[in-house]
Amino acid sequence: MREKLTVAARGNTDLLGLLALLLVLLVAYQHYDSSLLTPASITILSAQFLPLILAAAGQTTVMLLGGIDLSLGAVLGLSMAVFAIYEAQGAGGVVTAMVLALCVAVAAGAVNGTLVAYAGLPPIVVTLAASFLWGGVTLVVLPQPGGHVPGGLVTAYNNGWNGVALPAVAIAGVLAVWKLLRTTRHGLALYAVGGNEHGAYASGLHTRGVKIAGYGLAGAFAGLAGIGLAIQTGSADPTIGVPYTLNSIAASVLGGISFFGGVGRMRGTVLGALVIGLLTNLLLFTGISPFYQLIMQGVILVVALALKTYLTREATV
Amino acid sequence: MNARFVRGVVAMAASVCTLAGLAACNVESDSGSGTASSGGDKSASPAQAKDLKVGWSTIYLTPSWMQQTLKMLEADVDKLKSAGKVSSFKTFNANGDTSQQISQIRAMIQQKYDVILVDAGSSTALNPALEQAVAAGITVVAFDSLPTSTKVIRVGTDQKAWGSMMAEWLAKKLDGKGSIIAMNGPAGVAVSEDRWAGAEEVFKKYPDIKIVSNVHSEYNLAPAAQAFASAYSANSDIDGVFSQGGALSAAALQTLIKQDKKLVPITGENYNGFLKMWESKKKDGFSSIATAQPNYLAVIAMEAAVAKEEGVSVPQDITVPLPEITDDNLSEFVKTDQPDDSYPINDLPQSEIDKLIGK
Repeated sequence: MREKLTVAARGNTDLLGLLALLLVLLVAYQHYDSSLLTPASITILSAQFLPLILAAAGQTTVMLLGGIDLSLGAVLGLSMAVFAIYEAQGAGGVVTAMVLALCVAVAAGAVNGTLVAYAGLPPIVVTLAASFLWGGVTLVVLPQPGGHVPGGLVTAYNNGWNGVALPAVAIAGVLAVWKLLRTTRHGLALYAVGGNEHGAYASGLHTRGVKIAGYGLAGAFAGLAGIGLAIQTGSADPTIGVPYTLNSIAASVLGGISFFGGVGRMRGTVLGALVIGLLTNLLLFTGISPFYQLIMQGVILVVALALKTYLTREATV
Repeated sequence: MNARFVRGVVAMAASVCTLAGLAACNVESDSGSGTASSGGDKSASPAQAKDLKVGWSTIYLTPSWMQQTLKMLEADVDKLKSAGKVSSFKTFNANGDTSQQISQIRAMIQQKYDVILVDAGSSTALNPALEQAVAAGITVVAFDSLPTSTKVIRVGTDQKAWGSMMAEWLAKKLDGKGSIIAMNGPAGVAVSEDRWAGAEEVFKKYPDIKIVSNVHSEYNLAPAAQAFASAYSANSDIDGVFSQGGALSAAALQTLIKQDKKLVPITGENYNGFLKMWESKKKDGFSSIATAQPNYLAVIAMEAAVAKEEGVSVPQDITVPLPEITDDNLSEFVKTDQPDDSYPINDLPQSEIDKLIGK
């Protein structure tokens, strides 16, 4: 039993460090806000963190393929706009709006993937161009902040529905799907193509198809993040998605996803996103000057990354 | 084995340092906020606001307009502090991230602030958070860039009136005919869209005015200069420029001066760089009109919040009249000794403020 534990721990050394950091942050948070562990706080915080966690999950999917997605924030904004502009009435309407927004986001992701796979362009170039493209499409769909999400849904999502934290449930659901997917042929193909594209091709994988599917999946994550953000804010804003691009990369890197593809775990990304989210909140509580908050945020992230690299060097040697 | 031990020590030390650091921050903020915990004894003395804990969440803090606003706000807070009405004032900078601004408002709710001032990054996204603050008994006053929620007090200027004021002047100046370039702010931003909506209505009344190019740019000199230069090279025979922001106007005028072209009328704002150029080119026949998003919006918002806490029935929507800078009164505004990147404006007399907030 003990051996089993040690083995499990060693496989996850990097995650343990991150988990420790998260615990430290949680303890500090509890100190400032003693209501942290009440259902109300968990609902509010999970509503707040959901867009970043899902955006980071999307970014992770692309990074596992050895790419990077600079259009993620734009796709998030697009899906948010489509969802809110539908002006859904009733449960059926909401589901239709969700499906519509998700389809648009998946299509946007698949277009990115197709360009990367068939045009052979570097992902950073394709997705940078795509960020303008999807940003522009978003402005056509929704020229200025507006749209509407049913008030009941907004309240249920932000304040809990019969005591259930809906955003937390949504995150858990998405992660469960990812876990299932990862064990299938498709999930393994994602890692294989990201880790060694030529090898994957030589062993008979349709690498282009895998890429398109991977980018499409990233689009789905970004789309869900956009829907979450729309429900949280009760409306849509065409420019709100932009910061998510870089924040999602930060969360993924902090979570141990390699820039070179094929290495990393989704659970690491989730921890990374939680650390970033909690950290920004915590700095607000401390009440230090806003400019120092930015400095602190940067310093803590760099130190955390450096420490993580140092503490886990064993794994790579 | 040894290496692993060292790593363990480093990890432990890091955790301890983090905790110690956070604890230190706590001490700092406690001493900073003074007697904040006793704040806002509303029920006991409705006529006199006492020891209010005030927070300002702003979408940006670095632009010079915001810096100037912060200074004006701090001066007003100092006055209110010595009167015992405000005990602490904190500024939160969302740095362009609206989601971050939502977190800031939620943090202020949890920390039981008495007053939340907000310069919103999105006209819709903050509504649920702000309404939650109102429901928690907090006085919420928005100024400058406003949310659409009707539950908060909103102090602003009429952005559509801004656009129509500029457009009307330009149309008259051109005798209702000619081709113009329109310089607008970033697409999808409410302020920019509203100002343009106001202008478009006016231009519709003048069918002989042709908008040959409609340019979108950030409200910043460098990108605006680039955007204007490319629009101007394609349409160098224009008769005027509709611009809805000072940096945009400065960029346009600067391009005309640099290329030694005819100085056609350009509408403006109280951006000092533009006012200075206007002043120096007035003798060469350059004519303009300018208005301002006055920094004292923040002061009015602050005063409105305190008044509300004191039981005054403050109007829900406070529309502050737009100042008008013309060829005649330009000299009262332009500050030749100050940097380009400032927004000269004269303080609003207290009597005017009191009138606006319903005292």
